[in-house]
Amino acid sequence: MHDDEGRSLGTVIDARFVLDGVPRGPLADARLVGFVVSPRTGSSFLGYERHDDERPAVLATFLRWRHRGSFLVHWEDVARLDEHRIVLRPGYRRISPTLLDPAG
Amino acid sequence: MKRVLGVALGVLTAIGGFLDIGDLVTNAVVGSRFGLSLAWVVLVGVVGICLFAQMSGRVAAVSGRATFEIIRERLGPKAGLANLSASFLINLLTLTAEIGGIALALQLASSVAPDLWIPVAAFAVWLVIWRVKFSIMENVTGLVGLCLIVFAVALFLLGPDWSKLAEQAFAPSVPGSESVGAYWYYAVALFGAAMTPYEVFFFSSGAVEEKWKKKDISQSRINVLVGFPLGGVLSVAIAACATIVLLPRGIEVSSLSQIVLPVAEAGGKLAVAFVIVGIVAATFGAALETTLSSGYTLAQFFGWSWGKFRKPAEAARFHIAMIICLLVGLGVLATGVDPILVTEYSVVFSAIALPLTYLPILIVANDKQYMGDARNGRVTNAFALVYLVIILVASIAAIPLMILTGAGA
Amino acid sequence: MTPRRKHFDASLPELEPAERYAGQVLDARLHLLDRQVLDRDDVPVQVVDDLELSDVPFGETIPAGTPAPVIASILSGPVLSTRMFGGRPPSSRFHRVSWDRIAEIGIAVRLGVAGSTLDVTWVERWVRDRIISRIPGGRHDPE
Repeated sequence: MHDDEGRSLGTVIDARFVLDGVPRGPLADARLVGFVVSPRTGSSFLGYERHDDERPAVLATFLRWRHRGSFLVHWEDVARLDEHRIVLRPGYRRISPTLLDPAG
Repeated sequence: MKRVLGVALGVLTAIGGFLDIGDLVTNAVVGSRFGLSLAWVVLVGVVGICLFAQMSGRVAAVSGRATFEIIRERLGPKAGLANLSASFLINLLTLTAEIGGIALALQLASSVAPDLWIPVAAFAVWLVIWRVKFSIMENVTGLVGLCLIVFAVALFLLGPDWSKLAEQAFAPSVPGSESVGAYWYYAVALFGAAMTPYEVFFFSSGAVEEKWKKKDISQSRINVLVGFPLGGVLSVAIAACATIVLLPRGIEVSSLSQIVLPVAEAGGKLAVAFVIVGIVAATFGAALETTLSSGYTLAQFFGWSWGKFRKPAEAARFHIAMIICLLVGLGVLATGVDPILVTEYSVVFSAIALPLTYLPILIVANDKQYMGDARNGRVTNAFALVYLVIILVASIAAIPLMILTGAGA
Repeated sequence: MTPRRKHFDASLPELEPAERYAGQVLDARLHLLDRQVLDRDDVPVQVVDDLELSDVPFGETIPAGTPAPVIASILSGPVLSTRMFGGRPPSSRFHRVSWDRIAEIGIAVRLGVAGSTLDVTWVERWVRDRIISRIPGGRHDPE
């Protein structure tokens, strides 16, 4: 993942979709919201990234520490997709990747 | 009344099902060389398997997902496949050892050479998996396996110096005749024998086979928390028998007849008859569990239809995989390899592979999407984290210890 | 210090707060990839090996305002090795289950159709018809 000046921002560790498109079959279309980028590691969070109250706390803290600085970029801010490289538009937005409970 | 019977049956089968060829061999070897100075490892291992089995069973009951589906989902394809390869090979090794163990036990009973019993044993294992219902299979082998209680009886009949045994067990030290490296090598082996990954694959898949729901969790917890520790007591009894009879004479266990020797001395022919029936049931039960586990792990990783609750035709790849595994096990035994030796290696490799299975289960047992309000409490997690460290240490130490001591020689 | 780290420094702006969405959120790796797929009768069919997106503009500048891609189908097949080692297998070797056949996505992915109607289960059917059904007892429930 690179910004518009070619600086490396990290590795894409996930792609976020939301089911808010046109209904197609039983589910709505899954629209690509954007990419979750980790500046430090391409390894998985093992599911710990995106909630606040996770147990065991020691593991959650460790994995979040490994992925500190992760962020979400929107599809709208993607300028170019290549096989192993994504380039962002100037002035792209960096959003917290935390998943919020739908109810809360 | 029916409920009480159900609990009693569950506990009894858990005791009988706890021991397999790995526990029998490793405990006897350790007793004959180190006395009871490694009994504490059995305690550590039993608490660990209680914790681990209970978590995996709870995950399966609440979410309907068995252990290897979870491993693939949480670790991803790369680490998942590494774990599959390791677990599957160890499982195959254990399966081979169990079938060899059945044949050796039948040899003691019949004096017919094990080479002739091996195909019979493998065919019987396949037939049970092909045709017998899961619950019947598990209950019968578990209950008949209770015959191994004769090891505890033999211990009393031998009339040992209890205070000396207690001193070895509670104030452990490395015996003068043994090296520190060998002591810790066998500590890892005993730990691996008590906490074999296949038991967890089998336990969690069994929960799906028997269609456990949330309400069944408390019963399964009783089965595990009562049955496994009593199985651990039997393990220590095996080691104690070897301590009393074999250690003073300098006999190192290398065959099944030596494991049985203390029982023969204490209780004569009748006791030997019991112990052989018990060993056949325990190894046969474990052969069923390891064969099924090889099918479970493959099917769950690749997403095939699986389970004995389905007709074989409705889980075709699952059944063909198990048939192939049994044939491979037969092939290995046909080379004339010693099943006791295979066992000694398989328990150590179990210890090495353990973290890759334990970690995903621990994580998913805490996942709200899977578990809702049935996720791990703080006490369970405190224990689970201590065990994560123990499991990691045992896994990392195993190979250096193996090289350093020449596999405990 | 590794070169990767030096790009992450305090000069980068603070993150904007986390977003809420109108529909169910699926992070591909977290919620979809490597999950078990069950058919409408709860029979395991496959694992989600990979995803296929609708027209992604690869290797060209994306004009502003290009609509976001959507998931076209879940894939199964020899994709496992390519996800691990990179590259892409020829598209004909995939088995596709189109998005409109998915009924629900939770702990597992549930389809609204019977697994036997999908071409992804052909190996299962082949082993069943050629081997397992021909062994006595293969079509009976265990007793």
